Amino acid sequence: MRLSLFLAAVLLVIALLMAAWVENRRPQALAVTPSLTGETEFCITCHADLNEISPSHPVETFGCVICHGGERLALDADLAHSSMRGGANPSDLSVVSESCGGEQCHSGSPAEARDHIQRVQTSIQATYAGAIANMRYTYGAQPDLNAIFGIQAVQDSETATGIPALAAFDPTQENNPSLQTFAENCLYCHLYVEPLDRQEYTRFTGCAACHTPLTDHAKQDGIPDDVHTLTTAIPYTQCNTCHNRGNYDLRSMTFTERADHPTSRLEDYYQPIAQFTQCEYTLDCVDCHTRQEAMGDGDIHANQKDIEYVQCQTCHGTLEALPAMQTLTDPNDLAFRLAFLNPVINLALGDTIIVTPKGEPLWNIRLLPDGSYEQFGKATGHRFTFRSVMGSNCQQNVDEQESHYCHECHAVER
Amino acid sequence: MNFVSRRDFLKIMTEALLALSGLLGLGGLLRFLGYAGESKPPQVYDLGLAESYPPGSRTLVANGQYMLVHKQAGFTAINTSCTHLGCRLTPGPDGFSCPCHGSHFDLNGTVLSGPAVKVLNSQTVEPDRDGHLFLQAF
Repeated sequence: MRLSLFLAAVLLVIALLMAAWVENRRPQALAVTPSLTGETEFCITCHADLNEISPSHPVETFGCVICHGGERLALDADLAHSSMRGGANPSDLSVVSESCGGEQCHSGSPAEARDHIQRVQTSIQATYAGAIANMRYTYGAQPDLNAIFGIQAVQDSETATGIPALAAFDPTQENNPSLQTFAENCLYCHLYVEPLDRQEYTRFTGCAACHTPLTDHAKQDGIPDDVHTLTTAIPYTQCNTCHNRGNYDLRSMTFTERADHPTSRLEDYYQPIAQFTQCEYTLDCVDCHTRQEAMGDGDIHANQKDIEYVQCQTCHGTLEALPAMQTLTDPNDLAFRLAFLNPVINLALGDTIIVTPKGEPLWNIRLLPDGSYEQFGKATGHRFTFRSVMGSNCQQNVDEQESHYCHECHAVER
Repeated sequence: MNFVSRRDFLKIMTEALLALSGLLGLGGLLRFLGYAGESKPPQVYDLGLAESYPPGSRTLVANGQYMLVHKQAGFTAINTSCTHLGCRLTPGPDGFSCPCHGSHFDLNGTVLSGPAVKVLNSQTVEPDRDGHLFLQAF
């Protein structure tokens, strides 16, 4: 009896010492109480080394949980991460509305240009409708190239394209084995899925696929744990994680990587037989292509060419017309907001910028007093100048404005 | 030579271990009871004597949460949280600007450019009988 009591006392001491040891191993909690929620969270106890994700999302205002989810008061990693949205990527399209949405955030009204999430979810980059329709048409599963299916079902009650909805593409319902092979091998270039497991394809899903650029260095070992950035300064290398990485082989229904991995952007980055002008291999994609082209305009489109509309003439005009321009007179103009987010240009009231035929501001291109234009690289900050076609010696037919006409004279020798 | 018997040894050790257990348990209890949660921000800020703020002055107070403005009509405190999403505003000679999303406000807190649409919150601050300024958080 006395021995049993002694052993019980020993066990009790051991248990208490172990509890004390475990307790003392816990990190000293570091708290932040973001002004937007007013609720204390302890995430920075372990994540204090992460950089601020962007100047627009300071941690003292937003905290972590409002975007990432998670258990804000937990100090145990597994418990703290147990209810996170989208794992490490709250912008994954399956959770983005909850993570990034909100009237004052990224699911506001089109009038205020805050409908980012709605636009992206109906965009070609998310639906992949064009590729699906083309493949189904090619293999006889549908009689025309009309968009019927998307990666996810989407609706557009106020369609301007005549496509009110897309049904979710289900490859198991396809009879042609090539379409099933297409689904297995070729559905990696849209915003809902992780890319193929290859270094040059490495990107996140959702918004972060573009807005969290991974440098070539970071990509060497996949996505590093400490990538924590959101930016509108998106380099062409990020676009190329999907675009211009190779070709689809319709015979084998596989994606064939290009062997000539980039060392010189001009010499070997682009398709060998294609022609390019200087701006096409000097600028970044986002320097000319617009928000609507990349993120959609809120309508469901049938394929990529229906949403891409910026051409050479958008910036250079034609022999008969200067590019469309707008003088900034309203401090609330969208151009100022975009320039604020990526301050490569110091826009001021009274400045004249180029606008696209759809009225989108090319806020990084400003008219100069001598009639030429200056353009600032959104990812590089580099300044370029150019002139309009009007008044030049260009002999181009005004009705022939597709890029291949411009390439006839302006493509560089490779 | 006196040897402690096995029975006494077990009795002493058991009592010692139970005492140690009690101390450990008491330490844990004290630690639990002594846990100080996050201290809430004060609801009233003592801004000192009114005469410390000369007429025409604009002074950040309460860790920058408010701009105390001394006008001819009296003292006004302007909340320096942006009315868009609550980022701390940066005061400048012409007003306030938001470092997060670029809203601008004039010196009185009126919106000059968005995305904020609401005027900055403000309230008058009256000195007490001793000439002391106390600011109720808002």
